Amino acid sequence: MPQLIKKGKLTDADGMEFVALDTWHADSGNGLLLQVDDEPNSEIAKAPAIAIHFGAFNDGRGLSLAVLLRSRYGFEGDLRAVGDVHHDLVHYLVRCGFTSYELPEGRDLDVALRGASVYSRYYQPCVAQAHEDALKRVA
Amino acid sequence: MYRYDTHDQQFVDERVAHYRDQTERYLAGGLSEDEFLQLRLRNGLYVQRLAPMLRVAVPYGTLSSTQLRRLAHISRTYDRGYGHLSTRQNMQFNWPELAEVPDILAELADVQMHAIQTSGNCIRNTTTDELAGVAANETVDARPYCELIRQWSTAHPEFDWLPRKFKIAVKGSHEASVDRAAIAVHDIGLGVKRNDDGEVVFDVFVGGGLGRTPVIGALIHDALPEAHLLTYLEAIMRVYNRYGRRDNKYKARIKILVRAMTADGFRERVDAEWAAIRETTDAVSTEQLAEVRSRFERPAYEALEDQTAALSAARLANPEFDRWMRHCVFEHQVPGYASVMLSTKVTGIPPGDVTDTQMEAVADWADNFGHGEIRISHQQNFVLPDVRQSALETLWREAKAQQLATPNVGLLTDIICCPGGDYCSLANAKSIPVAEAIQQRFDTYDDLYDLGPIDLNISGCMNACGHHHVGHIGILGVDKKGEEFYQISLGGNSHTDASLGQIVGPSFGRAEVTDVIGKILDVYVDSRTDDESFLQCFRRIGIEPFKERVYAATH
Ligand code: SF4
Repeated sequence: MPQLIKKGKLTDADGMEFVALDTWHADSGNGLLLQVDDEPNSEIAKAPAIAIHFGAFNDGRGLSLAVLLRSRYGFEGDLRAVGDVHHDLVHYLVRCGFTSYELPEGRDLDVALRGASVYSRYYQPCVAQAHEDALKRVA
Repeated sequence: MYRYDTHDQQFVDERVAHYRDQTERYLAGGLSEDEFLQLRLRNGLYVQRLAPMLRVAVPYGTLSSTQLRRLAHISRTYDRGYGHLSTRQNMQFNWPELAEVPDILAELADVQMHAIQTSGNCIRNTTTDELAGVAANETVDARPYCELIRQWSTAHPEFDWLPRKFKIAVKGSHEASVDRAAIAVHDIGLGVKRNDDGEVVFDVFVGGGLGRTPVIGALIHDALPEAHLLTYLEAIMRVYNRYGRRDNKYKARIKILVRAMTADGFRERVDAEWAAIRETTDAVSTEQLAEVRSRFERPAYEALEDQTAALSAARLANPEFDRWMRHCVFEHQVPGYASVMLSTKVTGIPPGDVTDTQMEAVADWADNFGHGEIRISHQQNFVLPDVRQSALETLWREAKAQQLATPNVGLLTDIICCPGGDYCSLANAKSIPVAEAIQQRFDTYDDLYDLGPIDLNISGCMNACGHHHVGHIGILGVDKKGEEFYQISLGGNSHTDASLGQIVGPSFGRAEVTDVIGKILDVYVDSRTDDESFLQCFRRIGIEPFKERVYAATH
């Protein structure tokens, strides 16, 4: 069983059901499951939660998609990384606007939990509120 | 040159600690080979045929004497006493121990250096003209923009996991149309210039590159205002990150995406993305740029006499010194100073290889004759950007003693050459011995000088690290039934008015290569008019006469 980490804390499964884009309806109350190559539409901001599925941990498309959901489509709910989530890459997820992730079995929970705070500051501002102290001098 | 502020220092220090933790977990079995691979690549560690290779970032090819001494120390302590200057202005070490790499990175961080993003599918070190900021006739210095891009691209949250590696080159602006940064053959090439109102603007080229599918980049934006440099780069990167191919690594570079979408189609995508962010994302403010610029301390140039009678007399008295002056010394912005290229292309030594002793000597010269700064050129030579003209003769004598004063910069034997089959596990053929054989054959200065400027570039396989496509003469190692063969191309050019070489015909065995090069040069010498260069001559007469001569003798 993957473990759910929400806002930096290990949490019990929250029971949210995620449905793929082609069968999902805005008024269903279900979370929306996106693949990294899905094209978002204006309806998706209404979802209570969105999960982005990473087929491979090093597939950066999920990061761009997350940034778009936050910055262009106005999605403010829980944004979750699922699939091949890597414990060493948590800081990228957080900075691209993910608020939760499922850590697959066999990955290192301790490393994941400290992963978001390895760096005190970054060179770029980012879509995540948590990192508004990023260096503002570029971008 | 740029000096770190406390944030820069903190970031590299934390990065070392992070990577040390990752290395320890890998060695303890906590990270798989595949997982660790992705992490170590982003910290410069690449495993080659014989050993790991550590590629140290030299941002836009600029180093201080302190940094170069540290590199010498690292080569002595952790390696075999030498390093290698790469075609992307970095320094590579060929024999580090994987377990010691965190210590090496800590030694680097100590002197404001790192190896971040020098390998892997991410934005690599930004390169530029090795004479940026000192070249005569320069109108815009590219370095502050390179630094801005370095900061922006370092551990970018969104763009560190791209379909493939990504290389950005920036060309400063000159009255004469020189391009020492080869911007036409990079994923993104930026040409800096001033518009009619005197503002700095960028021409943006995209999708250029060498490798299996060599392409000259397409101009997709003309005169981009400097305030929007990063928003526009962000738009390009987002389109590439989302739509670049990830199913086949040979089709994953941005050039393939640009080709699939067409340059116009790609431009439309980027413009649409840019329209959505150009007002919402912070553009680069004048203050931010001023802050970056202020961290480049301008050396304290003295008021010196230019081109003194004593210098002319020394040249007249010593033809050997005069030769070196002619080929290795470049005009400077400031009267009384010069920039000096220290050629590493000595017969018998792999192009770009430098020993710890040489590194220390170069650092000393930078301190004694200039302002403590050194550059690395993409032709794999060291450059001393600020040398007092009165010190040139002394420098020449000392450089000669260190085998760094071969007067061949820009000439046939100033060969760009990849590590090839001697070091690289991807190679089809060796490249270093081919370079050596050519240097041996054409070793008299009079011949070289008579042939004039010729870029001869050698790659050991079609990954093209030796830039063979853009050599006036290009040599590519190919594998024919397990034997090493070499394909020769002519007419490539990496400067302004870039072009890709045309293949002469069937490939040659190693023993034939030097003779073939000899015949090619004969055709040029027989056909040239007045002071026509090799490239000009080739462009006028075409490939046929070369083909005829090269293959005639074998029948
Ligand atoms: S061109 Fe090929 S052989 Fe040469 S360094 Fe690159 S990958 Fe290795």
